[in-house]
Formats: sequence, structure tokens, C-alpha cells
Amino acid sequence: MIELKNFSYTYPRTAQAALDHLSLPVEKGRCVLVTGPSGAGKTTLCLAAAGILFHEYGGKKEGLVTVDGRDVSSFATLSEVAKTIGIVFDDAEAQLIFTTVKEEILSALEYRGLEEKVIDERFDSIVATTYLTELLNRSPHHLSGGQKQRVALAATLSLGNDVLILDEPTAELDEHATRRIVDILTALKAQGKTILLIEHKYEHFRNMADTLVVLEQGSVSAMGPPDEVLRDERIRKVVIPDFSGIRDMKTEGGIKNDAPEVVGVRHLSYAYGETLALDNVSLAIRAGEFVAIVGENGSGKTTLVKHFNRLLSPTSGDVIIRGKNTRSATITDLAHDVGLVFQNPDHMFFADTVQEEIGFGLKNLNIPDGDRIIDAALQEVGLLHTKDLYPRWLSRGERQRLAIACVIAMAPSIIVLDEPTTGLDGNEARLVMEILKGLQNEGHTIIVITHNREIAQNCADRIIAMEKGSVISDIFAREALHG
Amino acid sequence: MAEILQYIHKDGFFHRLAPFTKIVFIIVISLMCIVSINLAFLAFLVIAILVLAYFCGLHKEILQQSKLILVMSLVFIVITIITMPNGEVLGYLIPPGIPLIGGSIPITQGALEIGLILTFRFMVLIFAFQLFLLSTQPRDLVHTLERMKMPIDYILMFIIALRFIPTLQIEGTRIHEAQLARGYNPGTGFIGKIRSVAPIVIPLVSNALLRSNVLGLTIDMRGYRIGKRTRVHESTLQQRDFGVLLVMVAASCGYIALLSNQVI
Repeated sequence: MIELKNFSYTYPRTAQAALDHLSLPVEKGRCVLVTGPSGAGKTTLCLAAAGILFHEYGGKKEGLVTVDGRDVSSFATLSEVAKTIGIVFDDAEAQLIFTTVKEEILSALEYRGLEEKVIDERFDSIVATTYLTELLNRSPHHLSGGQKQRVALAATLSLGNDVLILDEPTAELDEHATRRIVDILTALKAQGKTILLIEHKYEHFRNMADTLVVLEQGSVSAMGPPDEVLRDERIRKVVIPDFSGIRDMKTEGGIKNDAPEVVGVRHLSYAYGETLALDNVSLAIRAGEFVAIVGENGSGKTTLVKHFNRLLSPTSGDVIIRGKNTRSATITDLAHDVGLVFQNPDHMFFADTVQEEIGFGLKNLNIPDGDRIIDAALQEVGLLHTKDLYPRWLSRGERQRLAIACVIAMAPSIIVLDEPTTGLDGNEARLVMEILKGLQNEGHTIIVITHNREIAQNCADRIIAMEKGSVISDIFAREALHG
Repeated sequence: MAEILQYIHKDGFFHRLAPFTKIVFIIVISLMCIVSINLAFLAFLVIAILVLAYFCGLHKEILQQSKLILVMSLVFIVITIITMPNGEVLGYLIPPGIPLIGGSIPITQGALEIGLILTFRFMVLIFAFQLFLLSTQPRDLVHTLERMKMPIDYILMFIIALRFIPTLQIEGTRIHEAQLARGYNPGTGFIGKIRSVAPIVIPLVSNALLRSNVLGLTIDMRGYRIGKRTRVHESTLQQRDFGVLLVMVAASCGYIALLSNQVI
């Protein structure tokens, strides 16, 4: 078991404690689920519990962290701690070192000093538990996010430790992949593993969590059996995201029929090499609509929206944006009409300040009166106070909002967002959706790709569902919620 | 997307060889091509490796980078023509018909020869290393290098550097797309090009640094650096390995004989 006793930690060169007098027991064979807003200290808690803070980080530590009764700081090296504790981080890609799944798992097994026969047996059982049998010869870049996370978990299981720490293993995953992880962890718990799990998606894990811990500003604000903890209305709102009431009556029955079509997709097909990613897709989106595009990974959602600003050109068919065929427009032309916010905001930040970051797009499009526009965009997303900060210092949710500000400053009439709530906690996700609703009310057309049905049904007016490169349904969200 | 220098799961002759044999192969071939200044022999080595790649079913992958190799070769040749004029003049880089600067850079036979030697050496090295890396699983490589007493930290560094090439390629494409969507316009002219690198390179490097932190912790937490390893499914030298090693020894002897008799 792991136990934190009155533990406090302050990162080097910061004044505020990241963990503040934290006491948390994780008993043998139990699953403790820790949740809370971003910046609450959840990842720091993981690093503390795994002994990493003591061996790799400086900073000020007070109190005690023990593993099976032994002080983690008393281990000689981190690799010694690793003989008792296994940890899986949120960035799956960074945890894959070898070029095939089989190598990844086998390599971790080999360093345990086991008999060859035992290694073979354990390998087979781990591969079966993590559903990786079909993928053994694949390389990491041919795996989806969920598959990568499963490989990272399998390699950690290879260590054969009874204590597992997982830091948001499902943050980047879609519904299907998340359920897979839930199944695996449930099975591992049944095998007797002790699990310390950091997660935003409480609802998925409610059946396996014995204790729910809510962490806020470095301290525990609630701890106990989940049902008891959730009785407190305020805590409940922190744990379970609530998107109700974002959609309003004005637009939920569809917008007026005379609104002009702004996105026209006509018989669009697109092939990556020999794989058909979009298969004869046709749809029309009118000005002022709030549309959600839903579907599992690989259903063609991102490929579809990349056609809206010509990052991709149709293999056959046409895409018409505000009357212009994208085939005869440049990406820069289309950037005036279509703003695209990608899933990971960190793919765009390069400037020294938030202000300059937004200014980049304005300069590219030669938009005058930059300062006023930048202030207005920051005001819109509630980040005016961060104007002079370094973009990468912002929290995950703030960075997502900054990415939106970068796009709205360029004043496109159509705003497309690819999974805007990935990795965000409930409150941040709601804030992002409220901002988008506000933009719709100002006259923008909003198109959101999401695998979160809850968001689609509560925020969008219309839901387009995709599967295997085709649109399989296109309905009003109101009907989806009640039907 | 073309994946540079990544292991490809196949069942070819080269795949079945033990990594040790392939390391010997690389060393012998590299030494031969570095020592030799005979154009015909170097050309023979290039062809021999391509033929070998064809029989191992890896020729397509190896020729994937031919555009880059061609450009590099041209650069080599032009540089030697400019910097190492020697021997008979065969023509001029700038035709004599052009006023003022016409006929100013002579193409000499000596320079052309050196350019071609460098080009062929470059090809032999690139092709041979590709053949090796495409057919060897990193785990096998780790084992072999470990047995050859190379420190584990250096081995892991080497493996990881190779492993993350495609990841950076994919990430680079995503960043490029994200910036294009913001109206990013790669600059024109030399200064413009340099300036336009920042929006791509800064996110790429920042993200890679963040990732390397997790990667480092993962290596420690998986205990790769502790050392005591059970040898499982490890490749041992087979008959075919001894065959290839014998051919390598024979080729080396033959090569030394030809070299000392000044045939090549």
C-alpha cells in the first residue's frame, strides 16, 4: 500500500505549495480515484506517490510518503522504487520506447530476473488482459491513442508490481478506448492490484472506485466512499461535469430556413493512399448553426473538417465555403472564413507572450487595429489577465481557451473545433462550451467535433454522426436527447 | 507517410541474420568504401548493396530516400568542382557565353572524380545502414550491443533517437497544419525562410522536451538501467550467420590483396 502522511511539496522557484498537508492512504487491493480541477496538484500527487519527487525533483518537501511501510526517500534510486510501484503517465507516446508492441512488453519483462518460462507465461497473460494479441507486431505510430495507452499499461504490468499509479490514462481517449481501459483496470483490481487512479472521467470508473478523493488547490476537500462524497452538491459539480442548459430555445429547433448555406459538402470522397477516409459525404451547414460532429476515432471527422480550409483537397466531389469552391481558393484566403482549432493547443504556441501569439494570425491576414482585437478576443475567453504571460505557462484549460482566442481574433464566420474539451476538467469543459455558445449568439457558425455525446446533446443544435467515412445520421440535438 | 529508418516486420534473408552478423557486415562495408578511392569498385559496392536489398525485399524502402540522396550527391559534386579544381578542364559550370561571369568555374576531371567518390561512399553508407536498421528489431540490437559491452545508457539513447524520428515527423506535420490554419505563410527569400521556421520549430522542440521528461522517467520506472536481464528469445548465431561472416572474411582478405597489389 501507499500512504501520504501530512505531505507538503513546493516546486523549486515557486512560492505556493503544490501539495498542502496532504494525508491519503491507498490500502492494499483498493482503488482510490483522485479527481479535481486542473492545477489542483493531481500529477504532483502521482509523482509524490511514485517516489519520483524524492529522486528526480528538487523543491521543498515536508511530511512522509511510504510504500509498504517504507519511506520512499530511503530507496537508493528510482529504479529500486520501481520494483514495488508501476506508473503510467498520460502521454502514451512518450512511454513507448521500442518499435513493436511485442518488444515493448518483452523488454520490460526481461529486467525482472525471472525464468524464461515464467516470462513467456506472464507475457501471454498480460497480452490477453490488455487485448493486444492482434497488435503485437505493430509499431507505435501505427497505433491509435487508446492502443498506445494499452501498450504503456502492458509494459508497466510486465514489472509485476502490485501497486499501480495511473495519471489520467484516458485523457486523450474516445469513448470506446476509455471503456477498454476501464475493463482492464477492473480486471486488474479483481486480481488484487492496488490502484491509485487520477481521472476526470469519474462516471466511467464509478463502479471500480472504492474511495473518491477530490483534490482542490493542493489539499483534499473531500474523501470517502463515492456515494457519500457526492452527496455534497458543490463537490458533485466539481466531479461530474454538467453541460445542461447551454443550448437555448432560440436555435434548438434549427435556424431559419432562409439563412444562407456557409458550408456545402457535395459528394466528397477522400483517400489516404488506398484507404478511403471519406466516402461520398454530402451535407449543408447554414450560417449561425451550432453543429456537433460525433463518431469514434477513425470515422473521418477530422478528415472532413480539414477540407473546410483546404488543408486537404477532395479526391472527388466539392467543398463550397460561403459560395467559394475550395479547389480554387488558397488556405490563407479560407483562413478569413474558417477558423480551425486543433485538438492539441500545444501544436500552435510559439510566441513569448499570449498577446503576440494572437497577433501572429492577425499579421498573417493583414488585419489592422491589432491591439483592440487582441483585447476583445482575450476578454471573450476570459484571459485578459494573462496577456503578458508565456502561453505554455497557462493551464491546459487556459491554453485551450487561448487557442480559441487566436482563432476568433481572425474573425472567421465559421469556427471549427476538433475535440475542444480533451484533457479538460468538467468546469473548464463547460466554460469552453459556454464561450462557443456565446460566439454562436454573436452570429458565428460553430462546428464541434466531439466524441462526448453529453456535450453534443446539451450544447449543439444539430448532431451529425459519422462512421467509417460516411454520415450515418443528421438530426436535431433536441430529438437525440429525448429520443 | 514514409517512415525514415524504422524497423519493418518482414521475413527476408537479412531479417533472419543475427544483429552481430549485420554489425560486422556494416563495419566491413563501411571500411571498404571509406578506404577505397577506386570509382569502379565503389560503383560496384553501390550496385551490390542494391541487389542485396532487392533479394531481401527491402529495395522499395531503401530507394524511398533516393530524392534526398540525389540532391545531396549534386551538392557534393558542385562543392568539389568549386573547391578542388584539378586536372583536365572538361567544361564550365557557368557557360562561357554569359557576359562577365561566363566561364569562371571550370569543371575539372579531378574534381568530378572526387565528387563522384564522395557521392558513392555516401550512397554505400546510407544504403548499408538502412538495410541494417530496417531489418533489425531495436530490442535485438540492444541485446547485441549490450553483449559487446556498450553502456546501456548509450544504447538506449541511440535506440530512442531512431524511434522518435517518425513521431517528430507526424508532430511536425500537425504543427504545420495548425499554423497554416492561422494563415501562416512560409516566407520567401533566405531571411523569410529562416524567420518562418520559428512557428514550426519552437512548438516541435518544446513538445519534444516535455516528452523527454516522461520518457526519462519511464526508462527509470521500467528498470531498464538496473541491468540484470533474463535472456529470452535471443537470437544466436545460426549457420547462415557463419556463412555470411565467412563471406565477409573472404571479401576482406580479397579486398586487402587487391589493395596491396594496387588493383583498386
